Amino acid sequence: MDQTLIPSSSSLSSPILETLGEEILRILYPVSFCMLLVVLLVSALSSPVTSSISFSSIASLAYSESSSDSFWSKLSGAFLNSLLFVVSITLLTFLLVLLFYFRCTPCLKSYMAFSSFIVLFFLGGETSLLLLSRFALPLDAFSFLLLLLNFSVIGILSISLAKVPILLTQGYLVVIGVFVAYWFTLLPEWTTWSLLISMALYDLAAVLLPVGPLRLLVEMAISRDEEIPALVYEARPVDPPPCFRRRLWRERRDSFSISDVSHRPVNPPQETRVEIRVQESGEGSARPELETPLMLSQNARRQEAMEGVEGIGLGISGAIKLGLGDFIFYSVLVGRAALYDFMTVYACYLAIVAGLGLTLLLLSFYRKALPALPVSIALGVLFYLLTRELLEAFVLQCSINLLMF
Amino acid sequence: MTVAAGVGYALIGLGPALSIFVSVISKKPFLVLTVLSSTMFWLVSLILLSAAWRALLPIKSTAFWPYAVLILTSVVFQEGIRFVFWKLYKKLEEILDLFADRTSKRRLFLTDKLQIALAGGLGHGVAHAVFFCLSLLTPAFGRATYFVERCSHMPFSLISAINSLGFFMIHTSSMVIAFNGYAQKKKSDQIFVPVIHVIASIMTLINLAPGGCVIGIPLLCLSAAGTLLYCWMLCLHKTSLLTPLYSGLPVTVSFEISSRARLKLP
Repeated sequence: MDQTLIPSSSSLSSPILETLGEEILRILYPVSFCMLLVVLLVSALSSPVTSSISFSSIASLAYSESSSDSFWSKLSGAFLNSLLFVVSITLLTFLLVLLFYFRCTPCLKSYMAFSSFIVLFFLGGETSLLLLSRFALPLDAFSFLLLLLNFSVIGILSISLAKVPILLTQGYLVVIGVFVAYWFTLLPEWTTWSLLISMALYDLAAVLLPVGPLRLLVEMAISRDEEIPALVYEARPVDPPPCFRRRLWRERRDSFSISDVSHRPVNPPQETRVEIRVQESGEGSARPELETPLMLSQNARRQEAMEGVEGIGLGISGAIKLGLGDFIFYSVLVGRAALYDFMTVYACYLAIVAGLGLTLLLLSFYRKALPALPVSIALGVLFYLLTRELLEAFVLQCSINLLMF
Repeated sequence: MTVAAGVGYALIGLGPALSIFVSVISKKPFLVLTVLSSTMFWLVSLILLSAAWRALLPIKSTAFWPYAVLILTSVVFQEGIRFVFWKLYKKLEEILDLFADRTSKRRLFLTDKLQIALAGGLGHGVAHAVFFCLSLLTPAFGRATYFVERCSHMPFSLISAINSLGFFMIHTSSMVIAFNGYAQKKKSDQIFVPVIHVIASIMTLINLAPGGCVIGIPLLCLSAAGTLLYCWMLCLHKTSLLTPLYSGLPVTVSFEISSRARLKLP
């Protein structure tokens, strides 16, 4: 047994198993919860009647799918749709980069508030109406309007302000993700899948290519030592911080609203805790054309007096932040899988979680900005196809005959 | 048969899994990650099996031997993969010990290793239970229920739930037994796990006969109980070698007390 004296922060018998991987779980639970809500919504609200809701948006502008079309026309139509969508997203992201470059932060912040209001009020309202009619719940229009308005306004406040309980902010971010993801699942099937694949490819290009808008954004933010104003889900930091760190953490949260003054200290020379950040710029509104994808980036170090923790990604502590676009596209994939069968839901969920874990591991190896969408979406689509084509027949063959192994 | 029945069947199949998860696994984040990775691993094994068998499905004959071949090949494959899983676990153990040394925390205790083995087995059991039972429960949430001709005594969902419960117990326990067998190089444990897996799977073939499930399902539950008992005795034996009390907290406490006394910490 180890006889050396240990610094007072860690006791002699604190086991490695207790704390390893806690940060990953703090981001995994909300992602899983968001996916669960979307699956529940989809399974509650999907029926042959409601599929007649035509969700026309920029994502289905070029081609509106109908089930009687041939394979190739569906494929080409879906491809056109997703191309149009990706092009509009690229343009909007470049606009965002431009605004950030000119330090027009009030524009960005007001846009964020406006888009979250649109999502909560209109998308949330329509979803609530669908739920009310599906479960035949009695509610009069005036109470509904009042509740919805209050709900949306509190949502904007909790996302924009800093001195709000973190649970409220996290809850509202998850709810926004759920609503946007649900409305994405209303798109036609081929369009949804080609959209997911195109967004994953776009994410890869935007973060890794030197000319990519997200990479430019990250580099600008790092060089200026500023936060990008964006809708980002922040998990709580793992260790209950001593006063020094708590102040730093609160100050950093304040810097979301004060963009010109940066409270973050300069990079210290010694090895310190590394903060993994996944960010997304500019959140979607009622129109999904304003969706921008995310990136997984690693940002400057926090000034710490604690011992350096390096090594595998599981050992890095500090608050992990995940952009809302990740939540949304993961949930869209799982929701679309739910429209087929629940077996694909479980398989896609495991695939997405595995992809997320892999991305975090890759991040700890490469230590530069990495996109979080491609791996998960690729694995999710692969497992969806494999489960649908291969596993289902096998499992049904066994289960119908009451066999199991 | 309404949402209540659907939830009921789900809980019959996965209730013990949920309680193990909440009481043991959720307390340590690493174990949750182990469960997820293990479930993923065994899902991949199921997909590989289904890919191998896809061309020959659906089996149209009513004889039992195609199903016997199906079951036997699947079990043999899974037992082979279990050894690969063990190798992966050994690598992980090395990394964890290295990490523990670097961050000055203590290395893996026996109870930690048992818990990781339990989490691995839980992943295996959950993977099978979810894909063989839970994913087929969707019709049970509706207004009617389904019966199978061969076993018209109980609803199909109930039989499938009890089946998956039995196999969940078998898989969870066998992983603990198997890890112990590989670690200690005990032949009896290493042989026990594949044998019980084969026996239990062959016993489900009894369900193919009309009315066979009356014999098959109780036999399966018996073998599940037997495996669980074996695992329980094993764990008791292993942990009672360290302290007179049973496993877990006393081990940690005794080390803590002795170490603090040695370093004269308060």
